[in-house]
Amino acid sequence: MSTNRKFVVSMTLLFILWIITAFISIFSGTYSIGPLEAISNLDELSRTIFFQIRIPRVLMATIAGGTLALTGAALQALFRNSLASPFTLGISGGASLGALLAIRSGLAVGVLGFSMISISAFVFSILTMLFVYTISKVGGVVATGRLLLAGVVANFLYASIVMFIQFFSTFTESLQTMRWIMGSLDVVGFDTVWKTLIFVIPGCAILLSLTKDMNLFGLGDDVASSLGVNVRRMEKKIYFATSLAAGAVISVTGPIGFVGLIIPHILRMLLGVDNRIILPSSFLLGATFLTATDTLSRTIISPVEIPVGIITASIGGVFFLWLLIKTKKEIIV
Amino acid sequence: MEAIINCTDIGFSYNRTSILNGINLSIQPGNMLGILGANGAGKSTLLKILCGVLKPKSGKALFNDQELSKMDRREIAKGIAYIPQDPMFAFPFTVKEVVLMGRAPYIGRFEFERETDKEIAQNALETVGISHLKDRLINEVSSGERQLASIARGLVQEPGIMILDEPATYLDVKHRTEVMNILRRLKENKGISIIAATHDIFSSLFYFDDIMILKDGKILAEGRTDQIINSEILSLAYGIEVVVKKENGRVFVFPNQ
Repeated sequence: MSTNRKFVVSMTLLFILWIITAFISIFSGTYSIGPLEAISNLDELSRTIFFQIRIPRVLMATIAGGTLALTGAALQALFRNSLASPFTLGISGGASLGALLAIRSGLAVGVLGFSMISISAFVFSILTMLFVYTISKVGGVVATGRLLLAGVVANFLYASIVMFIQFFSTFTESLQTMRWIMGSLDVVGFDTVWKTLIFVIPGCAILLSLTKDMNLFGLGDDVASSLGVNVRRMEKKIYFATSLAAGAVISVTGPIGFVGLIIPHILRMLLGVDNRIILPSSFLLGATFLTATDTLSRTIISPVEIPVGIITASIGGVFFLWLLIKTKKEIIV
Repeated sequence: MEAIINCTDIGFSYNRTSILNGINLSIQPGNMLGILGANGAGKSTLLKILCGVLKPKSGKALFNDQELSKMDRREIAKGIAYIPQDPMFAFPFTVKEVVLMGRAPYIGRFEFERETDKEIAQNALETVGISHLKDRLINEVSSGERQLASIARGLVQEPGIMILDEPATYLDVKHRTEVMNILRRLKENKGISIIAATHDIFSSLFYFDDIMILKDGKILAEGRTDQIINSEILSLAYGIEVVVKKENGRVFVFPNQ
């Protein structure tokens, strides 16, 4: 199949898949609301639940899952390594710490309409990325071992600071932080959704505009440059855009693990490695995946809600292990 | 005839270490120039300057009378193809996808390749003789076939000149000959100029019209191949005694030990 047909077919199918999942998700939960009810007569309580909780939540799952998967795919292109993702590189940890520091220092105010929490998360994301990139690059090439190790180091460092803050917190604050770190899509109303989108839309748009250059970048700096790519500028754009989009999402949802790793991987197995297809399709499948797992988290032991991060991290952990075993004999690309 | 590439007094340094100094070079359309020299003589750096990947610290590199460092990268890519010594393939693209990437300078940011681009790629695959491999993954074919795919990728850029860094170094004698024959055909049939760095003195004799020998970042000798390949110059270039012998119209090159 030619690349543009593959693009159209895969995007259409994934979009339909997302629509179906979102539809099921809106009508699932402790409080039952049927599709027919929703369009005819909703009482006050159902109306609030449907419009202020269910729909924003499905939107948040879509934005978060899509963004994490798309930024994961972009980081894999940037590091030329398919084990890169916001989670494995410690960017999620950095963004979480940034958000936590902003919340605890009482900076939870807006500046020119932007949330300080998201800005702080962004700053920590970009610092982490620079740290990991500098540490893992040896002689112009990213070494897989160093990359993962740098990610682990960053994660440990941030975890220790989070624990330090936890130690001086009250019981209630501590519990709040704990639940947030588990990763959750617990949003009420559309306010948070819009505030996240302010960062996510430009971030994702920049990354999607670079997909062709990312392909060429996979042929090495010099070849990419000889084919018309301004390599250094492209790298900077990816740093900036990934931190912007992933930082904003993580500052709301907490570090939801492994979506950014699994989704691009599955898609590469199905669709090949062309970033022009992998990045946009990662957004759609990531959105679908997180919407589906969030629906699970709300329904498996209803009325109790399990933080969605626990589900994605457990699925992701097993997947990561399988990946490591599978790639044992070959070079991890 | 107008030179396609014309360099005057090129200098390059890295961390204050001088790598190239006072290099003058010009190549006519449809000519094949070989660059010889010991490891570290500055061959790779020179090639990267000639294709606009590196900017010279001093001097001027002109492509069709335009200064490379002031040209748009995509415009350069339509005229000059660069094939590095050890091409990287970070992701398992198919051979066809790799070759199609050479069309990048002709395609917009949000565009896919058109039918004409695919035809050009197919022709390039046939020219280098690997069209049967087009759906194989690039990291699953042999290193010789990868090199041919890189050359095909350069070919679809429809360049006036191809710049290759040791195109045959990692290849066995059969593939080495194949690569060099393909380059010669490109020169003869399509009028593409070729500049290649090489360590293979022996095959240089058969393929290159002109030879430039670099030593410690400077030009040691340059001229027609048969005048340059002699014991005196080669011994100077490599720092060991090299014997060049002519017997029954054939030339033999070997180190004297």
